[in-house]
Amino acid sequence: MSAAPAAASAASAGRRQYDLGFARWVYQHVEGGDKVAMCMQCGMCSGSCPIGTAMDHGPRKLFMMIRAGMKEAVLTSNTIWNCTQCYNCVVRCPRKVPVTAILQSLATVAVKEGYAPTQSTPKFSKAFWLSVARFGRTDERLVTALYYFSHGLKEGIRRALENLPIALRMIKAGRMHLGLPHRAKGAADLRAILAKAEDIERAERAGGKPS
Amino acid sequence: MAGEAAESQTVLVVGGGIAGITAAVEVIETGYDVVLVEKSPTLGGRVAQLNRYFPKLCHPTCGLEINYQRLRSNPRIRVLTMATVAAVSGSRGRFGVTIETRPRHVNANCTACGDCAKAATTRVPNAYNYGLDTVPAAHLPHAMAYPMRYVLAPEVIGTPEADAIRAACKYGAIDLEEKPRRFDLAVGAIVWAAGWKPYDAAKLQSYGHGRVPNVINNVEMERLAAFTGPTGGKILRPSDGKPAKRVALIQCAGSRDHNHLPYCSRICCLGSLKHAAYVREQYADGQVDIYYIDIRAHDKLEAFYRRVAADPQVRFVKSKPASITADDAGNPVLHGEDTVSREIYDRPYDLVVLATGMEPSLAGALPAKLAVDDYGFLVPELDPGSGMFAAGVAQGPLDVSMSVQSATAAALKAIQAIRGAGGHAAAGRA
Repeated sequence: MSAAPAAASAASAGRRQYDLGFARWVYQHVEGGDKVAMCMQCGMCSGSCPIGTAMDHGPRKLFMMIRAGMKEAVLTSNTIWNCTQCYNCVVRCPRKVPVTAILQSLATVAVKEGYAPTQSTPKFSKAFWLSVARFGRTDERLVTALYYFSHGLKEGIRRALENLPIALRMIKAGRMHLGLPHRAKGAADLRAILAKAEDIERAERAGGKPS
Repeated sequence: MAGEAAESQTVLVVGGGIAGITAAVEVIETGYDVVLVEKSPTLGGRVAQLNRYFPKLCHPTCGLEINYQRLRSNPRIRVLTMATVAAVSGSRGRFGVTIETRPRHVNANCTACGDCAKAATTRVPNAYNYGLDTVPAAHLPHAMAYPMRYVLAPEVIGTPEADAIRAACKYGAIDLEEKPRRFDLAVGAIVWAAGWKPYDAAKLQSYGHGRVPNVINNVEMERLAAFTGPTGGKILRPSDGKPAKRVALIQCAGSRDHNHLPYCSRICCLGSLKHAAYVREQYADGQVDIYYIDIRAHDKLEAFYRRVAADPQVRFVKSKPASITADDAGNPVLHGEDTVSREIYDRPYDLVVLATGMEPSLAGALPAKLAVDDYGFLVPELDPGSGMFAAGVAQGPLDVSMSVQSATAAALKAIQAIRGAGGHAAAGRA
């Protein structure tokens, strides 16, 4: 995925910035992004969203903002982070726009472009990813600990203590094991695959051919 | 077949709705014979089931009545009701058509006196009112029936009730022995005017039609507002018979939707504007909300849109509602996003009307090899030189006036095909 175009010029504070190349860039580089052009602004997606009231814009408005070239506002929106991937909108969309794929892909763009996320969803995603990339599986203790302490040492300890009784009950019920993290059989192979993928992505970003 | 005369100069018209009736009348008044085949017990089709036409809000008796008059007084037409086309063979000028008829069990002696209905004890769903109420097993299809003749429901045939019904008839019009028939006709040209059916609202799963009380579709709303409907023309909630004063009308319910009908049915916007007018006529304190993506009131029909929109008690909400649930009081509650204000709403109503679209009646059940478009509608001139033509909604979504125009055009083409057979008609198509 190549970098999203930078805003044409730094406009004075408080003024909306419109980057007219942004829509085209989304059509070409975001997964399912070409379908953003299909949206007819009916509101079925935002109305079907179980957490629609917790979104600043909702998918429908976000798609209009993409078409209007409001890059900053799109990539700093909490809509791309609050999506729970329940697929209600995808199933009901009369234009077959893959809403969830687009939101997820935009979140990836936002992280790569260095936009500060509005909530802690990316922290959890990173914790999840570290566990999966290293061991090929998610380990409930590892993911939880990484996520808690990504908020800082003090907050990490506070959250860990708060949830300790649950953890103990889970161990007692055999729902959480003690010992080394879960590990997939081919964890080493997976790491090699991921390293190769990163190489390809780096090469693409540099404009060269993958090695 | 250039230069050859047609073996048959009869035109077969399939479908007895407004398009089929119009095509038939135009052909017979030009001096050719017509066989008009209708699958239900009466002519009139969907138009007879309307309460009013848009945009002038006149009654469908007007239009149907004058055409019935033209049929009745002309010896060139033969009307076959309860009849369908089973097969078609041959070609332009010399078609062989196989017709199948279902028994009506009431012959031409019937005077429509109604004594048979009084003798009937079984009640059956009233197809005229889309099953919103019931009728006696012996009944007149509706007040504008043509022929004006009763019909017996197959449910009672072979029961003592059927004998009682026969005994009640003073004119010997009840024929319990009538059997289904199958016979062949020779015709020179065919006009397919088989019309449409409402899209099945139950397929719009999140809208709860048939599951959530007081969610109906637009054709049911016509019956609810009609004097001959289940409520005598009062717009009442089906669940408890209370006046439906707060009404939501949902546009594009299953239309312009790749999960359902991908096309616009063209009539539903005007239909719903008309429904808003029905509610406001009956209730001074009525409140109608129209949920829409965009309002498609074409050409002169925009004046009707402006008229309805000028009413402060009719509100337009730019939103495709996401779902409908029921609250404890039996009210349907709409959930969705107002795309102008971005409000996520949950609004209760007395009644919700789904503006469902039109599906071709023949979809998936073509009795002959006919060319259809991506949506199952017939291609207007089915195959150049084939002698078969489509008219009315069988060829695509149309309103009544446009159906009549397309039927008149099909009548002319059918006449060219049988006269022609070789003359300028065929040459013109080359």
